[in-house]
Amino acid sequence: MSFLSFTVTTRSRASLTALREVGSSLKARSYAAQAKGGSVKQNVQGYKGGKNQKLTKKQQRLEAMRNNKSPGVRLRPTPPSQLKHELFQSQRLDELMLPDFNAEELTERNLGKAMAFPLPENDAVRVFGVPRNVLLDFRILSKAASVVRDVTIKLVDRLQAASQESSQKNRFVLSGSVGSGKSFLLIQGVEYAASAGWLVMYIPRAINLVNSSTPYSYDLRTQTYLQPLFAQRTLQRFRTVNENTLSSLVAEEKIDLHDGLSLSQGTPLISLIDVGIKDQTFAPTVLAALLEALGKQTKVPVLLAVDDFQALFTKTAYKTPHFQTIRAWHLSMPRLIIDYASGRKTFARGAVVGALSLSDKTYGLSQELRHALGLQPWLQPSSYLKVAPEITAFTKGIQILKVPEKLNVNEAASLFEVWNKNKSFHTPGSDEVFLAKYTESAGNPRDFVWKGLLSTLQT
Amino acid sequence: MFAIRRPLRLKFAINSSRTFATASTPYVPPASLEIVADAPPPQFRSRKKTKPESPSFYTSRASYYDHLYQLETALQRCRRAISTLELLPLPAFARASLPPAQLLWRNRQSMMTMFSGSLTTARYRRMISVLADLEECSRIASAAGHTALAESIQPVLELFERQDKETVLARTVRKQVPMDRYGRSYTVGKRKESAARVWMIPVREPAPVTLSSDVLPSHSPRAQDVDILAPVVDNAFAPSPSASRMPVTTTTILVNNIPLNKYFDSPADRERIVRPLKLAGVLGTFNAFVIVRGGGTTGQAGAIAHGIAQGIVAHVPEVDHILRKAKLIKRDPRMVERKKTGLAKARKRYTWVKR
Repeated sequence: MSFLSFTVTTRSRASLTALREVGSSLKARSYAAQAKGGSVKQNVQGYKGGKNQKLTKKQQRLEAMRNNKSPGVRLRPTPPSQLKHELFQSQRLDELMLPDFNAEELTERNLGKAMAFPLPENDAVRVFGVPRNVLLDFRILSKAASVVRDVTIKLVDRLQAASQESSQKNRFVLSGSVGSGKSFLLIQGVEYAASAGWLVMYIPRAINLVNSSTPYSYDLRTQTYLQPLFAQRTLQRFRTVNENTLSSLVAEEKIDLHDGLSLSQGTPLISLIDVGIKDQTFAPTVLAALLEALGKQTKVPVLLAVDDFQALFTKTAYKTPHFQTIRAWHLSMPRLIIDYASGRKTFARGAVVGALSLSDKTYGLSQELRHALGLQPWLQPSSYLKVAPEITAFTKGIQILKVPEKLNVNEAASLFEVWNKNKSFHTPGSDEVFLAKYTESAGNPRDFVWKGLLSTLQT
Repeated sequence: MFAIRRPLRLKFAINSSRTFATASTPYVPPASLEIVADAPPPQFRSRKKTKPESPSFYTSRASYYDHLYQLETALQRCRRAISTLELLPLPAFARASLPPAQLLWRNRQSMMTMFSGSLTTARYRRMISVLADLEECSRIASAAGHTALAESIQPVLELFERQDKETVLARTVRKQVPMDRYGRSYTVGKRKESAARVWMIPVREPAPVTLSSDVLPSHSPRAQDVDILAPVVDNAFAPSPSASRMPVTTTTILVNNIPLNKYFDSPADRERIVRPLKLAGVLGTFNAFVIVRGGGTTGQAGAIAHGIAQGIVAHVPEVDHILRKAKLIKRDPRMVERKKTGLAKARKRYTWVKR
C-alpha cells in the first residue's frame, strides 16, 4: 500500500531490530547491556506453578502439611456439622422432647404439661387442616404441641360421657375472649376423640362454607343451595382419616340417593363414601346419608367438630339469582351441621362441638347469636334489630363451655418452655422475661406468645 | 537584702555633734560590724528583721491565704495518708459506688466574715474547691472504714459549712407516701396530657406447698445420720428434703377496670408500663389498679409507668436510686410545643420563596 511504503535505511533497520528485541523481553532496561543475538531473560519472582519448581524449605513444609491426609495434621478448619462439643451446641435446635398427646394421658396428673400431637399420616388435624392462626403456631414450632389445661380435662370428661350418650344431650360451643385458646381446645378435643377410637369429622374453617369460595347450586328437592365441591372434599378427608374404623361399619338400612341411585342394606359405608367422591353431584346427598347412617349405628361414637361456628349463622357472600343475600342456614352443608348442632338430627353415640372465633369481623359473632347462646347476657341486642327466629330455634339446648381468659402460671410456664426449647426467642428466655410477658398479656395465651414473647426485643 | 546603709560613726566622735560635709560614709557590711570595735551602739543598730510568722504576711489578704494554706496542707496530708492506705488512686467503679457528696458550704458573704477584708468570687471558688477535695478524702476514708481519719477531717470542714445544713438536707428527703389500712399506696403519674392515679397493694402470699413424700428422693438420709460438716451432693438439682415449693405469685394490672392486654393493644405500651416493676425486681409482688385520663395511648402508658414507679418506691424505698437512674421517678417534662406566629407549626416554617 502506498501510504505504508517508506524507505528504510540500513541504520534505521538495525535500530528497529534492536527495539523489537527490547520489546520482547519486558524486564530488560534500555540502559542495560544487551547480549548480542538474544534477549535478556529476567528471573521472575513468585510461585510459578508446576511440579518441577524449586521451593524453599518453608514452602516445602507447608506443601507437605497440605497434602498430608492424616487427621492429626489437618490445616483446614472442621466443618460446623462435625462440631460435637457442647460448647458449639448453643444454637442447635434439638427436637422438642415432649410426651405424645394421648387419650390416656389426659388426666389431672398431667395438668399444665405440654404434649406434642403425634400427627400420623391419617391424622384428623393433618388431613382436615387447622385454622389459620393455629397453622402459624404449628409451622413455627418444630413439633405441633399444646398445653393440657384444666378446661381440656373438662372437655375430655364431657366427651367421655358423650361417648355413651346421644348427641342430643351433648352439643357444646366453646366460647371465650379473643386469643383465649378455643381453636386449640377444639383441636385437643378432636385429637382425643381420634385417639379414643371415635369417628371424627372436623371442619376447621367454617368461614370457607359461607364466603363463596366453592361453587353452589340450588336444589329443588331439599330447597337448599348445595355445595358439591366442599361436600366431596369433606367426604374424601373423612374417608382418609377414619378408614380403619369405617371398614367395619355397614349401612343398617337401604340408602336412597337421588336420580334413582340407591344402596342396599349391608353396603359398607366406605362404598357409600366412594360414590360421593367419584361424582361431585352426589356428594352433598351422600354426606347427609352418611351422617344419618353413622347416627343410627351404636358401635362407634361420632364427633362433629366445627371451628368458626358463628359463621353458620351469618349472612353469606352467596347471592340468589335476584341478588338477595343467602343466609347460611339455606346452604346445604351449614344446614347439615346446624341440624346436628340443634338436635334435629342426632348421633346415637357422640357429640357436636363448635368453637366460636372472634378474629374475623365479616363473619363474626352477631348480636343475635350472642344473645341466643346466652353469652354476655348483660348486653341485650338492639330493640331495632330484627332477630331471625331461625337463630333462636337452631341454638336451643346448646351448652356453653367457657374457656378461661387467663392461663394459670403453670400452664404459661409450660408454654414458655416449649417456645424456649424451640429457640424461637430473640434472646434465651429467663424467669424475668416470663413474668414480665405474663403480666403484660394478663395471661391471655395469644397475647402471651405472639405479642409478648415473640415480638419483644427486650432481654 | 537586709543590708542597709548606715552612717558609720567615727571612732573619735560617738557623741560628737560635729557634722561633716560628707554625711555619707563608706559602706560596711553588717556582718563586719561585729568585728569592728566602734560599731554603733545597739540602739542605733537597726532592728533585725524577724521572719514573718506566715508566708502570707506580704499578701494583701493574709487571713484568707493563711486559711487556704492550712487547708491545702491538710489536704496534702490527708491524701498522703489515704495513699498509704492504698485508697488512692481510686478505681472508677469504687468511685462510682461512694455515697453522694452533700456539699453545703457557707456562701461568699458568710465566709467574708471569717476573713478580714472582702472575698472575691475567684478566691471563694478556690476555697470551695479545696474544701470539696478535703470532703472527698473524708468520704473515701469513712467509706473504707477509717472513721478516725474521717472524724479528724470533719471539724475542719464544719467550720466552713452552712449553719442550717441540717434543715436544708431535711428539705430534700422524700415525703413518705402513707399507706391506707389495707396497705395500699396511692400515687399519681403524669405524662404529656395524661394523668394516672395508681393504687398498689402487695400480693398476698399463699402458703408454701410442701412436697409430698413420693416426690422426695427415697434415699434422703435421716437427720441423725447426716454429718453437717461433710458436703455430700449427689444431685445438685434434686429437691432437698426440707424444701417446700414456693408458689409463683403474679402481678395483675387493671386500667380503668380493664385488663392491661385489653386496654393497651401495642406491646410497646405494655412493656413501658411493666418496665418499672421489672427494673425494681418486684414482678409478682404487687397488684395495681389504675384510673387514667387524658391524652393518647402512649401518653397514658407513660403516665401509668410513672405512677407505678412512684408506688414501688412508696412500698420499697431501697429501689429509689435504681428507678431514678432509669428516669422513671422524674416526671417527663416534655410537652407539646406551641405553635408560633409566622410558622406553620412549632418549628415548621412555610416554604421559602425567593421573590
